[in-house]
Amino acid sequence: MYLIKNQYLGERIVGQVIIKNDGDSITSFGENHDNTDYQAYLAWLAEGNTPEPADSTP
Amino acid sequence: MTLTTVNAGMLDTQAQYTGFKNRIINPGMVIDQRNAGASVTPAAATYTLDRWYAFMDVGSKFSVQQSTTAPAGFTNSMLITSTSAYTVGAGEAYGVRQMIEGFNAADFGWGTANAQTVTLSFKVRSSLTGTFGGVLRNSANNRTYPFTYTISAANTFEDKSVTIAGDTSGTWLTTNGTGIGVVFGIGVGSTISGPAGAWAGTGYWGATGATSVVGTNGATFYITGVQLEKGSTATSFDYRPYGTEEALCQRYCYMFQNPTGASGDGSTFGAGYTDSSSQGVYFITFPVSMRTTPSLTTVSTANAIEQGYYNGTVTTHNATSISLISNVSSPNSALMLVGGASFSNGTGAFLRYATQSITPCVFVSAEL
Repeated sequence: MYLIKNQYLGERIVGQVIIKNDGDSITSFGENHDNTDYQAYLAWLAEGNTPEPADSTP
Repeated sequence: MTLTTVNAGMLDTQAQYTGFKNRIINPGMVIDQRNAGASVTPAAATYTLDRWYAFMDVGSKFSVQQSTTAPAGFTNSMLITSTSAYTVGAGEAYGVRQMIEGFNAADFGWGTANAQTVTLSFKVRSSLTGTFGGVLRNSANNRTYPFTYTISAANTFEDKSVTIAGDTSGTWLTTNGTGIGVVFGIGVGSTISGPAGAWAGTGYWGATGATSVVGTNGATFYITGVQLEKGSTATSFDYRPYGTEEALCQRYCYMFQNPTGASGDGSTFGAGYTDSSSQGVYFITFPVSMRTTPSLTTVSTANAIEQGYYNGTVTTHNATSISLISNVSSPNSALMLVGGASFSNGTGAFLRYATQSITPCVFVSAEL
């Protein structure tokens, strides 16, 4: 349901976002405890789920 | 003219008549950035009209739409239509809610000995009659106040108000988190419904005995003019300028969409450069400070946003992927990473709205 995506400029990682794909929409967000999407992600992790890892190349 | 008389009725030691009297945002249901008046039948809990969140345990049991059926003095309402005759499970809840940011209810003093009395008022209409309900709740949903109201005549807007003594117990956030939740139930099961008219240390979602709208196929429920204010009486509705209401909504959701609906020159909203042949990075600002650094949602990138450059003539390419760079985004601004056929490395470029065939296409959200 969730995957991690590195954000690249050239070969350099400049950020990382969590991506939720609902089928109809794609939502991306960073690590931010005030963000309710991130809160939902943490709850999902707490249920024992694991996101798909980030790609290691651009 | 000399003022010789002050009408005592114009004065009120409890209610505040100026400023942000009504703590509900989009109370008249005039802003609908996400769906622009289209009906939606949510398969899962989601925001519908701005600031109004539809929740459910089983999806697709009701539709939500900004309606032009409205009582005198209003242009819009929120219309909920039941899509089936569904029997709500004992632990299920269906309804709409608005979470009021803690900053906007801090003066209520809830959770302290100085808790202020508030009044919730609204205009409601249904094809059903009887007792309906809702709750006020805190962020953790461990302090709730179920309330009921009666709809006497079918298909007629009626004014309702509920006065609630402020809660002196529990934790009520006064930050950018949820301060107070205002919940209108349209079908709530018996085990999560509570007795109306009293605070409870239980996470109720509705009031005992309330009518289930989703229990009748085709039943309608309209609501508008929702006002939550300090004081023990419902005062006149706090009409705010449209632009003010829109800006209040944009603290929580902002749609990347040209207000005029047009694309092309004049709809530019970001500037940056291309860092490869397939990607550009652009600085953008949000129209108001958002509640927190937002998420970005794309429903469709097709014909949503274009990258372009100008050298006498404008050349553009549609974006195929969009995200905000997490490390440098804030509630005020962001660097937007845009994928898609781009230009030569290092080309100065801009972002602009394209012709949008789907609403919503791309939006940022800092909702509660």
